[in-house]
Amino acid sequence: MLANVNATRMELLQLRRRVTLASRGHRLLSEKRDEISRQLIKIARDIQPLRKKVEKELLETFRRFMLARALMEPEDVKAALEVPTKKFTLAVEFASVMNVKVPHLLKEMAGEIICYGFTATSGELDVALLALERAFDDLIGLAEKEKQARLLATELNMTRRRVNVLEHVVIPELQGTIRFIYDKLAEAERDNTTRLMKIADIIRA
Amino acid sequence: MAELAEQSVTDFFTYPPIGGDDWRYTFATAYVRALETQLLSRATLLDMANAENFERAADLLSAGEYALPQANRSVAELENFLRNKRSAVRKMFSSLMVDEPIVTLFRTRDDFANMRLAIRRTVTERPLGTDYSDDGNVSAELFEEVFEQENYSLFPDYMAEAVERAVLAYYQNKDIRRIDYAIDSVQAEYNIREAHRLENIFLLGFFRIQIDLTNIRTMFRLKFTESDRRDVFLQGGFVEPDRLKHGLDLDYDAVGQLFFATPYHRLVETGAAYLLSDKSFLRTEQQCEDFLIGFLKTTNQITAGPQPVIAYLLMKENEIRTVRLLLTAKRNSLDTKLILDRLGE
Repeated sequence: MLANVNATRMELLQLRRRVTLASRGHRLLSEKRDEISRQLIKIARDIQPLRKKVEKELLETFRRFMLARALMEPEDVKAALEVPTKKFTLAVEFASVMNVKVPHLLKEMAGEIICYGFTATSGELDVALLALERAFDDLIGLAEKEKQARLLATELNMTRRRVNVLEHVVIPELQGTIRFIYDKLAEAERDNTTRLMKIADIIRA
Repeated sequence: MAELAEQSVTDFFTYPPIGGDDWRYTFATAYVRALETQLLSRATLLDMANAENFERAADLLSAGEYALPQANRSVAELENFLRNKRSAVRKMFSSLMVDEPIVTLFRTRDDFANMRLAIRRTVTERPLGTDYSDDGNVSAELFEEVFEQENYSLFPDYMAEAVERAVLAYYQNKDIRRIDYAIDSVQAEYNIREAHRLENIFLLGFFRIQIDLTNIRTMFRLKFTESDRRDVFLQGGFVEPDRLKHGLDLDYDAVGQLFFATPYHRLVETGAAYLLSDKSFLRTEQQCEDFLIGFLKTTNQITAGPQPVIAYLLMKENEIRTVRLLLTAKRNSLDTKLILDRLGE
């Protein structure tokens, strides 16, 4: 029950309006929670295979790179990879999913990833770099989806807490206060009736 | 000598001639013959490849010169250890060689590697640094000084030429790879020129084979990356560049036939098949390495001469690379099949 409440009919009417508003908010937030859950499950389903694919691709890239590094002389590795020719830019756009601003990553790549001559380098380095280039699209897709999932999960958590607060605290409290005011008003009504009856008895006597 | 320079790939069966004896090298040849017996056997390398983990693989080397300290076996420590080993071998090579120009010639490999790094840093306006290899003819400090002052006359002629061509090539279309292509080309020309000047048939054959093998690998790499470059093949090998350019237009299955009349037929066919099935250059590189080692092993027939000493240097460098490959592969738990594919059957 709310503290410091005036047990008046005006207050009762206001509280009834607040209960109606809270119930509507509860319903809307429940729907939002369900929709976010649905979106989150959808993204999570996409993430799982994508993550496996990216991990596999990166593992393969890493293996090839380790082989290339082992096959080449250290100074040749340094000379080959010191100045990269591939230029990479990443732009972030935001889209709204259930009022949550989720990022959409846009990449732009220019130039060739193979930035060295052929004499002092191993072919495995080509394989590794091309595999890394291929993995980049998936890697960015994965980063985007994971960020979306994290933001949606945070929003879901917040919405769930709001729904719970409305359901278990705000609405029961308001209803308790309404019941209290109603009882108080009924008590006052009974008091008045009793007082009037007593006065009528006195006059009649 | 002039005839040899013009020799075509069809003029010999597997390997080109390696020249005759030079009795000034009697001691040096005997010395490397003794050291050759200590080279790691194929069985040891296969045992290392099949070892359960890095520790087991490293333990297999504990009885020989590659014994690693038990306490610190980190990647950096391993790299440093193998680099020191390589420097020691090169130092020993310098002390055994009677002909100083041959030592200088082999040191230029590091000069060209340093130059690739220095020019890349210069044209992209990065700090020059002093982290260059010390095994070359030109010291790391001089590199920094020359590039800072842009006074290339302080370099030997072959390096001044390489700088000039590399910088010009870069500024044609600001493509960083042109630097490497130009330096590779100058290096190949310089090697051939020096072999002629020294009248060393073995070195001439070696460098021409090296150019061929580089060109074959380049052909496969261009095909694999679907590049349309045609001007990156090195001149001076036994195989004519037109044959390699033609190879770029053929399917992988047909490339082998193109080299049917050359000693590289098996190498190309095996490499192409593996590249097609496994999307990897491991077999091509292994075949190229085996071919070169095969050529170096023909120096067994020389009683005394610079050939066995040079062959020992190159075989030892190859062994160090193989040890690095095996230990790195084991350290990173790479698939044994990949290692065996690289080592060959």
